[in-house]
Amino acid sequence: MEYLLNKIKKMIKFEASIKQRDDLYFITVKKEQLELILSYLRDNEGFTHLAFLQAVDYLEDNKFQLTYMLYNYDIKVNLGIKVYIDREKAEMVSIHKFWAHSWQYQRELHEMYGINFPGSPRVEESFVLEGWEEIPPMRRDFNTLEYSIKTYYQRPGRSTNDPAKYMKEKMYKKYAESPKIRRDND
Amino acid sequence: MKLKDILSPFSVWKKAAQKPWTIIDPINDRPGAENYRGFHRNDFEKCIGCGSCEEICQNAAIDMVPVEGQETKEGNSGLRPRIDYGRCCWCALCVDVCPTGSLTMSNEYTWIADEPEEYRFVPGAAKTKWHDEEKGYKRSQDIQLIDYDRVDMFELSPQERDKSFIEIVKGYNKEQAMKEAERCLECGICIATCPAHMDIPGYIAAIRDDDIENAFRILYETNPLPEICGRICTHKCETVCALHNNGESIAIRWLKRYIADQIPPEKYKEVLGTEHLEDPILNKKVAIIGAGPAGISAAYYLAIMGYKVKIYEALPDSGGMARYGIPEYRLPYDQIDMDYDYIKSLGVEIQFNTKVGEDISLEQLHSDYDAVFTGTGLHLGRSTRISGSDNERVYFATDLLREVSLGNEIDVAENIVVIGGGNVAMDITRTLTRLQNQKFGKVQVLTTSLESEDIMPADREEVVEAREEKAIIDPGWGPKKIEIENGKIKGLHVVKCTSVFDEEGRFNPKFDENQKKFFEADMIVESIGQGMDLSYLSEEIKSGLKFGSRGRIQVNENFQSDLKWLFIGGDIIEGPDVIHGIANGHIAAKAIDTFLKK
Repeated sequence: MEYLLNKIKKMIKFEASIKQRDDLYFITVKKEQLELILSYLRDNEGFTHLAFLQAVDYLEDNKFQLTYMLYNYDIKVNLGIKVYIDREKAEMVSIHKFWAHSWQYQRELHEMYGINFPGSPRVEESFVLEGWEEIPPMRRDFNTLEYSIKTYYQRPGRSTNDPAKYMKEKMYKKYAESPKIRRDND
Repeated sequence: MKLKDILSPFSVWKKAAQKPWTIIDPINDRPGAENYRGFHRNDFEKCIGCGSCEEICQNAAIDMVPVEGQETKEGNSGLRPRIDYGRCCWCALCVDVCPTGSLTMSNEYTWIADEPEEYRFVPGAAKTKWHDEEKGYKRSQDIQLIDYDRVDMFELSPQERDKSFIEIVKGYNKEQAMKEAERCLECGICIATCPAHMDIPGYIAAIRDDDIENAFRILYETNPLPEICGRICTHKCETVCALHNNGESIAIRWLKRYIADQIPPEKYKEVLGTEHLEDPILNKKVAIIGAGPAGISAAYYLAIMGYKVKIYEALPDSGGMARYGIPEYRLPYDQIDMDYDYIKSLGVEIQFNTKVGEDISLEQLHSDYDAVFTGTGLHLGRSTRISGSDNERVYFATDLLREVSLGNEIDVAENIVVIGGGNVAMDITRTLTRLQNQKFGKVQVLTTSLESEDIMPADREEVVEAREEKAIIDPGWGPKKIEIENGKIKGLHVVKCTSVFDEEGRFNPKFDENQKKFFEADMIVESIGQGMDLSYLSEEIKSGLKFGSRGRIQVNENFQSDLKWLFIGGDIIEGPDVIHGIANGHIAAKAIDTFLKK
């Protein structure tokens, strides 16, 4: 496997590689190199299976990370190809030409993260969120709690206590706040 | 058509004799997977009611509610999470964030009830069938939402510090402070334990937002001595921190110090909004006896409320025990000055070298002022009263510490024994090691206490650092007799102390006279507690006051004595420590305000 990684490294000079387990490796490549590396791995190195395609929202860096997880049945090794794409203009080349089933993953990512894959079949169709009107829910700036409160009404009879205020009430009620600064006009 | 196609329907028959794959009773016969996120359990013994589960819940499914039998006490709000299973999505974030690890999930996933209300329940309150189930989801040890490790504080090494009195702890820089502040869960459990009830999560949040001026204002709401407290506070708050249960508590004291260190003294008034407060706006006057933490705190709050305040101090400088009892390597004097100078700039007058009871009587203060607050502290030493303790080379720790702070030279001996196991004993031990190093270039100080190592009242780090500075700490011995020959001390005889407190927790030491030791010494320092000097109270005043069983003056919850004009606080009432004094002064100032407005 290390031999293969070195070979790829010579080909495309990838940015980082990680060996997580004996049968699990990751490499990070540039966005433009993805098609080249996928077709090479699929056609020449036996990574014939796309196990999944998923995304991570790196809000602070203004990036999405996409991971294309490939599998080689002969040597039983998983190889994840990571690509970082811009978060504002979230768009990535479609890989349905390499693996037909990838359109479904891409459709899901379009719905959950708002990442577009131009040319991918039915990519704009709802996946599970019919009639969704908010920003894509897996984006980290989506406020799940706010949505939950807005959408699902509370059953009557709910009440809660703030621990610090409750303890004050129970333990040191007499200790009032700081006195206000008195000025001439007070 | 192939033969196989004709025969294949019949192949089903061979399965007829096999055990079916379907489950006859799927409710009872099908347990969830080992790590299944099923119904919640909560171990009430561990739960402290911090509400982090409620805070993180993205479905607003959790309420914090009082539960019968759960007491609200220090370190435990007594509240417990109630989960609405109409909203829960079993994401397990509540389990992942739980700082004590009390909240877990069982692998049980079926529950039938007629009443929808039953699905809103407090895990752990009522016995559920899954409560004792071993299997289920627990917080992973590998992936933690909480950072349990404190940001290290830079301290001088023993070689760098053992010859001088320069400050040991260097304080956090911005990056460190923000990283440490990030760890806070903001549960606020600590507030109740802080004697001054400071808004700890509030100022930590302000550090995280990098709004230091706001953090500084929050400090002054309850504590006008942040430079002092940020260094030497007994930080009881840290002992109840939610993170303390599973890791290192937030470095609350160091974060407070970080805030105070960031604001230069010339900006105090601007930041705190007290620019034009030099002249009192009320015509009522308050006298304060003692410029220690309690007195200064009372003076500060009275001054901002518009009173004319004057402090009478017996010693030549401010700070009380904070200056004259605590060595400079823990609390540099210029830091005390910084807190104190600000308060002086608010128009508070102070008269040093004036001992009430000698230079001016309390009666005189009573007639000159509308109210008096006294916080005269515990400056007297206590003696073991063993044979030989009246020798001239037997000293009290408090006296020596005061002499060092005053800049007077001490006749340090080459071989010293200190008796005591508290922080003051450590202070004098470490002061003497420095002085010996300066004078003789070597250290020979042995400190012994009644308490064994595990129950020594001193802070752990004090003991560790004293040893690093080459002092010998040999705890668990009771002083028996000081051996004297021709008027000179030879050493201290001790016997093994087997227990310090009796079953009722009262001080009642027991000894094993067969286990003995002799510590050679030519100077002995006693540090077994401090006493108060109330000689400034005349008989007439004393007769108007009520005294408790151990000679303490009785005051009400506002620190007002039976003489309505006399308020008393600080070490002579509560503590002894700085933060109690500050809290007392704060409460008393507000009570004086109420008293004078009547």
